[in-house]
Amino acid sequence: MGNIRLLIVDDVEDNRLVLKAICRKIEGFEIQEAQDGLEAVEKTASWLPNIILMDIMMPKMDGFEASKIIKERYPATVIIAVTAVIDPHMEEKMSAIGVAAYIHKPIDKELIRFKLKSFQSVLRAKQGEYKKLSEREAVNPFSSDIRYFKTVFENVDPDAMMDFGMWILGRCEDGSGLSSTKVDALLELFYELMRHEARNVQGISIVAEESFEALYVTLKFPKAVVLNTKASALIREIGADCRIREVFVSVRLGLNMVCLLPNRYEKTLIKPAVSEPAIAVQPAEKVRIESPRMSEEAFKEPESVKEKREIQSEEKSLLRQSFVQKTNAIDYVSEIGGDVLDEIRDLESLDAEWKEKLYIFEQNPTPQNLYNFIDGVLGVYVSAINNLFEFTALAYALSSLGVFLKENVDTITQDPSKLKVLVMLTEHLGADLVSWREHVFELRDTADIHYLDSSFFSSCMQIEGIIGNKEVCAEDDDDDGMEFF
Amino acid sequence: MAKRVIIVDDSRAVIATAELALDEMISSGVIEFKSYLNPAELLGKLQSGQESFDLLISDVNMPEMNGLDLAREIKKDERYKTKPILVLTTESSNDMKMAGKEIGVTGWMVKPFSDDKLVKSLKMVLGV
Repeated sequence: MGNIRLLIVDDVEDNRLVLKAICRKIEGFEIQEAQDGLEAVEKTASWLPNIILMDIMMPKMDGFEASKIIKERYPATVIIAVTAVIDPHMEEKMSAIGVAAYIHKPIDKELIRFKLKSFQSVLRAKQGEYKKLSEREAVNPFSSDIRYFKTVFENVDPDAMMDFGMWILGRCEDGSGLSSTKVDALLELFYELMRHEARNVQGISIVAEESFEALYVTLKFPKAVVLNTKASALIREIGADCRIREVFVSVRLGLNMVCLLPNRYEKTLIKPAVSEPAIAVQPAEKVRIESPRMSEEAFKEPESVKEKREIQSEEKSLLRQSFVQKTNAIDYVSEIGGDVLDEIRDLESLDAEWKEKLYIFEQNPTPQNLYNFIDGVLGVYVSAINNLFEFTALAYALSSLGVFLKENVDTITQDPSKLKVLVMLTEHLGADLVSWREHVFELRDTADIHYLDSSFFSSCMQIEGIIGNKEVCAEDDDDDGMEFF
Repeated sequence: MAKRVIIVDDSRAVIATAELALDEMISSGVIEFKSYLNPAELLGKLQSGQESFDLLISDVNMPEMNGLDLAREIKKDERYKTKPILVLTTESSNDMKMAGKEIGVTGWMVKPFSDDKLVKSLKMVLGV
């Protein structure tokens, strides 16, 4: 996978050095610099950066002007504004032209890294898709007639597995005719196989290959695949569309409609596998890459009084992953490894800290105290839950809450009533997590281990709604809020 | 007289956000608000007559008991046969709708819901 090109734009050399030092620590970035807006525009034209960290106040051409020009010419470029001036008006203007995120100076290096990493993983997932197939022969045993692209998710860890899940569920919705039932079965199988390798992710990769008629997904392990009962049952269920040889597990997914192409290949003529009337379609991937929250803000409808926080399609996909299977807690816990269980049990030690750090923040509402909670407690929860594979929706809800709180640290610290509500609700979230651990891992008395996912997800969204003064709503919600049976 | 509204949800955060949303109706005495984390506890109290309601709002997916099963049990009781029950859900699947209809549940609300929508739905169902 190619490196992500990152352009750092700032007129002050020291600032560029600091940013560079921070970004260098993240693998997979190639970095160049520009000293002002004009140079940024020129560098963008010649080097096509994927992500730009853009200072606002600069000589010759300021960051706003430069961003405007760049977004017009290269809409796929992700621009993150970095500035010392807190100016809501400017933030609004920037988001209106498509700037994906806003970071305030002094620079919080963890925040920058977190943002860059999340943009990086989305970009990689999308970029892979556009990559032309190399000359190498197909990995899947079904067909060597691979026409379009090959997406490789390398060193699949829980995060990458999530990217893959989102990517393939996204493919179900883009009209390419992928059957979501089949994809659900495939995901279930891959999660099952991965679960046993969770401690040994190095060298696991996922390769997606596509012909006119089918999408072939192959999971490649560093050593021969060992199947447990559940995985064997899933493979039987998938039937002839699943083949295993040595270190490869391949699944064939039929594309039974007009084949759609990502926009890079829009103009190429594609023979439909079945002769159905061509339907008007959106390019498969709209290149609109934002941090989890940015997109709805940037594209909000102007006439609505309150901004809306809707469930986005990625989030829906995530939630769907949780609904794929209804596993009861007894089966689930007997399947997961003891060390994973230990990690969850260790979270118990965080229960007190959750309350304590929130209490300290409530008594002394400084940004640092909020960060202490987010990084010291929330973050630890996120990574432990992520390791479980099963609960990506829960982990996502928690981590995006963390990102949201960091972005809104000023509002929270300056508004005592919001602070109070936030602390109260976050304390409840903590209590919900305690009881979730109890029901799933200790008492094991729930018939559906995902019982909390959607409640938790919506609670996090509601917290964001309250703090950000946004109206929360489910995507397909009607105006009356409730429907009659 | 204040209408008695009960919410049952395994999530404390969901209960707390609902209570925040209904704050005005509660403080102005339009409704009385009571919450339960455990559906079995609520069912026991309803059956023994220690608890009653004018409107019940129930989560569907709870660890101890499914919200639709809870509604089914409650609806068996003559005292609550005609009382409205709303269920909270994220997925309004057809199966869920069929089951809800058969049980006699009044309606459903999709999570997450805004404050306004909750208030509006409550007023509509309670006629206040």
